[in-house]
Amino acid sequence: MSKFRDSLASGRFTFTGEIGPPKGTNVEPVLEEAVHYLKDCCAAVNVTDIQTAVMRMSSLAVCRMLVERGIEPVLQMVTRDRNRLALQSDLLGAAALGVENVLALTGDHTTMGDHKEAKPVYDLDSVGLLQTMRKLESGTDLGRTMKGEPNQLDGAPKFFKGCVVTPCAEEVEPQIIKLEKKVAAGAEFVQTQAVYDPRAFEKFMKSIGHIKVPVMVGIVLLKNAGMAKYMNANVPGVVVPKEITARLAAADKKELKKVSVQIAGELIRDMRGCCQGAHIMPLGWDKEIPRVIEASGA
Amino acid sequence: MPGRQLTSEEYARLAGSDALIETEWAPCRAACPVHADVRAYLDLIARGRFREALDVIREVLPFPGACGRICHHPCEQECRRNDVDQPAAIRDLKRFVAERDYPEGQKFEKPLQERDKVAVVGAGPSGLTAALDLARLGYRPTVFDRGEAGGGLLRTAVPAYRLPRKVLAADVDAIVAQGVELRLNVEVGGAFQLDDLRSQGFKAVVIAVGLSKSRGLPIPGADAAGVELALPFLAAADSAGPGLAGKSVVVIGGGNVAVDVARTAVRLGAGRVQMACLENEKEQPAWSWERHEAAEEGVATLHRLGPKQVLVRDGRVAGAEFKAVTEVFDGNGRFNPKYDENRLTTLDCDVVVFAIGQEADLALVKGTDVKADERGRLVFDRSTSRTSAADVFACGEVVTGPGSAVEAVASGHRAARAVHQFLSGLPIDLGESLPPKIDKLAPATAQRLVKAARAEMPAVPAAERKANFGQFELGLSEAAAMKEARRCMSCASGPFVLTDKCAACLTCRRVCPFEIPEVKEIADISSALCQGCGICAAECPANAIVMAGYGPDAVRKSVDAALASLDPKGLRLVIFTCGHHAPAARWGGSDPARPAVSAKEVFLPSMSRLSAADIMYAFEAGAGGVIVLECESGTCRYPTVELRLRKRYEQARQLLIEAGVAPERLALHVGAADNQEAAFAAIALMAERVTRRAQGWAPRGQAAKPQTAEEKSK
Amino acid sequence: MIVAERKPLEEIRRNLAGRKKVLVLGCGGCVTVCLTGGERQADMLASQLRTAAKVAGEPVEVTVRTPTRQCDREFIDTLKADVEAADAVVSLACGVGVQLMAEVYETKPVLPAVNTTFMGAHSGPGTWTENCRGCGQCVLAETGGVCPVARCAKSLINGACGGTNKGKCEVSRDIDCAWYLIYKRLKARGDLSFLRAEREPLDWGMSSSGTRRTLVHAEVNDQAHRRGAEGAEGAAERK
Repeated sequence: MSKFRDSLASGRFTFTGEIGPPKGTNVEPVLEEAVHYLKDCCAAVNVTDIQTAVMRMSSLAVCRMLVERGIEPVLQMVTRDRNRLALQSDLLGAAALGVENVLALTGDHTTMGDHKEAKPVYDLDSVGLLQTMRKLESGTDLGRTMKGEPNQLDGAPKFFKGCVVTPCAEEVEPQIIKLEKKVAAGAEFVQTQAVYDPRAFEKFMKSIGHIKVPVMVGIVLLKNAGMAKYMNANVPGVVVPKEITARLAAADKKELKKVSVQIAGELIRDMRGCCQGAHIMPLGWDKEIPRVIEASGA
Repeated sequence: MPGRQLTSEEYARLAGSDALIETEWAPCRAACPVHADVRAYLDLIARGRFREALDVIREVLPFPGACGRICHHPCEQECRRNDVDQPAAIRDLKRFVAERDYPEGQKFEKPLQERDKVAVVGAGPSGLTAALDLARLGYRPTVFDRGEAGGGLLRTAVPAYRLPRKVLAADVDAIVAQGVELRLNVEVGGAFQLDDLRSQGFKAVVIAVGLSKSRGLPIPGADAAGVELALPFLAAADSAGPGLAGKSVVVIGGGNVAVDVARTAVRLGAGRVQMACLENEKEQPAWSWERHEAAEEGVATLHRLGPKQVLVRDGRVAGAEFKAVTEVFDGNGRFNPKYDENRLTTLDCDVVVFAIGQEADLALVKGTDVKADERGRLVFDRSTSRTSAADVFACGEVVTGPGSAVEAVASGHRAARAVHQFLSGLPIDLGESLPPKIDKLAPATAQRLVKAARAEMPAVPAAERKANFGQFELGLSEAAAMKEARRCMSCASGPFVLTDKCAACLTCRRVCPFEIPEVKEIADISSALCQGCGICAAECPANAIVMAGYGPDAVRKSVDAALASLDPKGLRLVIFTCGHHAPAARWGGSDPARPAVSAKEVFLPSMSRLSAADIMYAFEAGAGGVIVLECESGTCRYPTVELRLRKRYEQARQLLIEAGVAPERLALHVGAADNQEAAFAAIALMAERVTRRAQGWAPRGQAAKPQTAEEKSK
Repeated sequence: MIVAERKPLEEIRRNLAGRKKVLVLGCGGCVTVCLTGGERQADMLASQLRTAAKVAGEPVEVTVRTPTRQCDREFIDTLKADVEAADAVVSLACGVGVQLMAEVYETKPVLPAVNTTFMGAHSGPGTWTENCRGCGQCVLAETGGVCPVARCAKSLINGACGGTNKGKCEVSRDIDCAWYLIYKRLKARGDLSFLRAEREPLDWGMSSSGTRRTLVHAEVNDQAHRRGAEGAEGAAERK
């Protein structure tokens, strides 16, 4: 069913985009942008799940609205806010609503967001969530009957299961080990943390050559030199080379967006040879995604 | 040695008594023949409480003036500071307090004396001590002496440059003032016999006649003119004038008396003084420091010479001939000199003085029931201090053999106890069970201790002092003495751990600047290693550590006393400060510069003892403000106290502010404990702040900037 | 060891609601060791209460006792006379002690003076750090002795999250990433197989998130033949 799965399976270099649900009920603007700018150039669109622990509308709800607009969503699901009961319940709901692509994440800690007093759940972790999906697919759930036997589902879902990895982490071995575990737990595609160093990425890709799952390199649009510096300093596993920061710093203010798009496009162009797709995180610059793809030469 | 532990119940029973502080002794006290509480009197000196220090000494030593000068101070040899730098100058400090007190005069109360009359023969240190002890016990002692003043050999044989006569006389006067009758110029054994004492109603007699006769040697020439014996020589020295002008003197002997003779000869004008002794340098019995002083004064010491004959020309001494000594002590360490008769040495001289030992003059016991043995010594039972007669006891060198003054005093104490038991109808038992002394300092601990140079005794240079009999050591100044007293490490004053309270939390281990506590099942704080700072006691969260001489409520009691002395309507400031750096003796008085504020100091043995709870208690007890005066940075003998004190102050401050105490009622001033001016400024500052706030100039919440721990007053 | 921290005086006084006779109760156990609730801290709290009362002009009578532990009835029973003489008890014990006190002296208000925070170890001068959450299913054998449940902010069991940053946790740069430590330790031991092994999700039913837990040692429990059976059944049920 999943076109996204088919695209990756076909060996085509595949693009995904990303939108964030609104903080409020006014969901139209984000949907409109998705329809206008992402629908045509992306195989699927990720919908973030209470990203950085800042409360927003349900990812599942927005995913369904995308389905209704002919866009294939990737439901991002973090384990921070729901225990295994709620996660499984929502997964069944997603399947029923026609949402097949699910990206399993642990999720930023509650103390990073705007509800620091919230009780973080983390009943499962990302590996556990992948295991759970596989279990649901097999027609059982995580629980047991009174007799101690697996519960049987009345109708099993089918997911296209994804996970994330940080290719440029300081300590890459544990990242690879965890990726192996995610894949063993059923992950079928990988979207990476933002990458700005093609050579480092290539090296990483070589080191996971044994993992036969499509990898989409993560591309975050750098809006200016300040953001580049900030990401460098504060976002775990993100390394922005000096040349990129310099290019942004040297750019004329009016040209900044163009330079940013150009950089993203070049990054994809430089890395497309060693991976199977790119996941573009526009951080509000949704309109630029088509231009990025254009700049990548795809 | 393991640490000292108690249950809370045991502690409750012992608290307030001396039992804890007497559990173990410092090595100085153990080494002292009279077991003077050195740590106690050095602490009192450090706090400027000189009179009390002297009282502590006088309890066991009636000759503070004499012993403060001539004591051989085994305490210093044993002082654990030897392993750190140099021993505390205990003898010099004793002299300091003894001397300091004299100008003010001393008032002694005679004890109630209604018990039996006791006669003591001999007014030397042992006899006078025995008499004083008996007077204190209520007996009526009379001391008979054939001399014209009390003091015995201290008066006639110790040269005045070491012990001025008036110093000794003051010691003797003090003894007399405490109920001892002294009858001088009476020779017991002459017209007046031992039995006469009995018939006069003396119920017991103590023979303390010392070793008053110098021994000579039966060698050829020993009867020639110019041959002298040590004791008559020394006794005559005072009046002899420059009788040896230009003469060459040979002193035969290597003991302390020989050195006294040699140095006296120098002062009498001798042109050349040589000591000839059997022993080599190592074996020579005279104290090393006196030998050193003698050498400074030009006395030459010749070793391994055994006297063979005095060379005589025209009936007068012309020289002395010696044979070489090959060995002084035999394989068993016994005195048994061997000579090589073929190796001879001749020393030309005009005078020969024999200083080879003393013996007793036992004329007084001749024909009495007090027996002497075949070698002319009193028959004496060491375990009872008794002679062959049931009512006659003995003490001092006559029974102990040659020794130092403090040993004679110790012997006098024993005789007095024996007499007391005898006259009380009790069996005589002089057995003493003394507390064990603490072990040596471990090198690792010694290394961590703050070093401090010993006070130098100011002395007259050799060239100057050798010309007269003036006292050549000049005594310590007050400042030097107080500083020196602070060098005492308060050995054995360390803590007890309450076994039922200790939670083995390791806090003691973690805060100890010397890393002494070991925590096994519970804390184990070695008394031998502990420096007695009390930091652990003030930090222990279980209140499980109690200092031997300073109970957990000691500070609170002082706070109560301080507050009780203040006008209840005044500001009532309590000032915590170090008793060593801010000696109560100096600070306690009324100083015109002192701000007219209701304030009182609480003096602590060290600021290390002040806990946060103690600071808080002051407010609970009604203080209007608390000032903590910290010593000048780096002056404390205990490392880390500065930091600890500030942390405790900050903790107390926060808890007190939380309880509603205005911040301006709390202050910590660094460096002010040594500096009374700064302390006065601190008092004035707090008074001003507190008053200003009361007048509404700085309402709560906008109060003047709270003082910080770092704030210094200068 | 259980670690606790003192509550603000204001809260303690508010809970006391003006009661005049107060028994301040230290505890000789864990809270003594972590310097929060031993006899000394009980003395200091008492001192604070007296001083605060003085400042407020409302006299209060405060006594202090510090039993060996407040988590055993036998020690608590020795306090009967003091508790009865007081209008309220302020306990510096952890929540365990406060509850047991309240249970033994049912009619007396027993008020906590500390917030019980965690189980931890001394980790530096005056510092204690959480090491265990009592999850009931210890995994330390596999994680190189570093507990991911207590020390990972997310209690992850399959490795670090994406927030791990230069060995530190995304929550704070002052907190080590537990999984970084686990990785380093296992790497040093030359065996990362535990790290690679896929794990089943943890059974939180065994942990403090589950129901109130009970431990029965049948060998010293006289009713073990009865209650022990129940206990065993209860435990099995949670599996």
